[in-house]
Amino acid sequence: MKTYEVFLKKEGKDPFSHAGSVDAPDDELARTYAREAYGRRSEGDQMWVVPRSDILIADETELKLADRNHRHNDGQLLAELRRTTSSGES
Amino acid sequence: MDEFEAFLDAGGIVEPNDDIPERYRHAVFRFIELHANSEYMGGLTERDWIPKAPGMHRKLTALAKSQDEIGHAHLLYMVAADLEVKTREEMMVDLLEGRTHFHNVFHYRVHSWADQIAVAYLVDGAALASQQAVFKNCSYGPYKRILRRVIAEEGFHMRNGEEMVLLMAHGTNTQHEMMQEAINRWWLPAVQLFGPDSRPDDELLRWHIKSERNEDLRDRYVQKFVPQLLNGGFTIPDPGLRKDPDDGKWKISEIDWEPLKKTMRNGGPDSARRIADARSAWENADWVRTALDAAAKAHT
Repeated sequence: MKTYEVFLKKEGKDPFSHAGSVDAPDDELARTYAREAYGRRSEGDQMWVVPRSDILIADETELKLADRNHRHNDGQLLAELRRTTSSGES
Repeated sequence: MDEFEAFLDAGGIVEPNDDIPERYRHAVFRFIELHANSEYMGGLTERDWIPKAPGMHRKLTALAKSQDEIGHAHLLYMVAADLEVKTREEMMVDLLEGRTHFHNVFHYRVHSWADQIAVAYLVDGAALASQQAVFKNCSYGPYKRILRRVIAEEGFHMRNGEEMVLLMAHGTNTQHEMMQEAINRWWLPAVQLFGPDSRPDDELLRWHIKSERNEDLRDRYVQKFVPQLLNGGFTIPDPGLRKDPDDGKWKISEIDWEPLKKTMRNGGPDSARRIADARSAWENADWVRTALDAAAKAHT
């Protein structure tokens, strides 16, 4: 048996989102099980079923390392500049 | 087509696998391709300024901005390629051969660091306003979804831009003058980014790809940016600029759109150099593509 992750997309603007998982012996049955488990009341109009072993997983540490302070701007300096500019010049 | 348009009018969202009219597919594709090309060309200019940015902090923000712009181009080319009109490589080659286009603002030379600030503030501000108007009500689902990220990042750029403009406003006389000269160069291109007034039969509006008319976006931009610049002690390079006594709104001079048409056909003052620069970036990265292809083959 293999575990599959199931993603559903509702009609409209929402993106695909994770619905849950199923165990199945092959792709064909995985699709059937996923449909019966997560889509039997039109919860979505599109479905992706992906073998869990095919998903590449990045962990928290790895993702934290991608973030850098210089990519943010907390707006503090800007707020200060806006304040002093409007009081000084206008 | 009537049925499709009724679906769009009712707020329908289109996904890549849907059965859609070819004209819609091509219109969305051209629009996203132009956006992707513009992000890419913009990102390359940002890159040029990383070593010249004053101080470590500004180098880092310039670095982050370049990565964002190239990242936007990447997201957009992926979405465009899924429309199956052209592959990513075909889009890239068309851009580098001058067969496709990119926004007017990336056809001019960036003379100084102050120009780079004017671009971050005025041009990114205009781009953000027009992207927000697309995001608000875009009928093409994949485009709408990635615009959320694009807009969030453009917001950072604008914040950095306004911060730097105000620092220049508070700076020495030389810095103030430099900033004024940059504003003189970039004001009109930024205002022109929105394009001429939308035609009454504009398909992009009818198909809810865009949700607002060019002239409305341009007007809102003027109302926002004129007071901000004046407040910073700068002037606007438009002798016809006036405040309408009736509605209290800022009015700009009539725009002559003829030079813009030539610019958009890749005939602007810096178009040839920028395209050649992009082409050499592409050629210099050829070994990377070759290595990736070889690695992919080795795995199959």
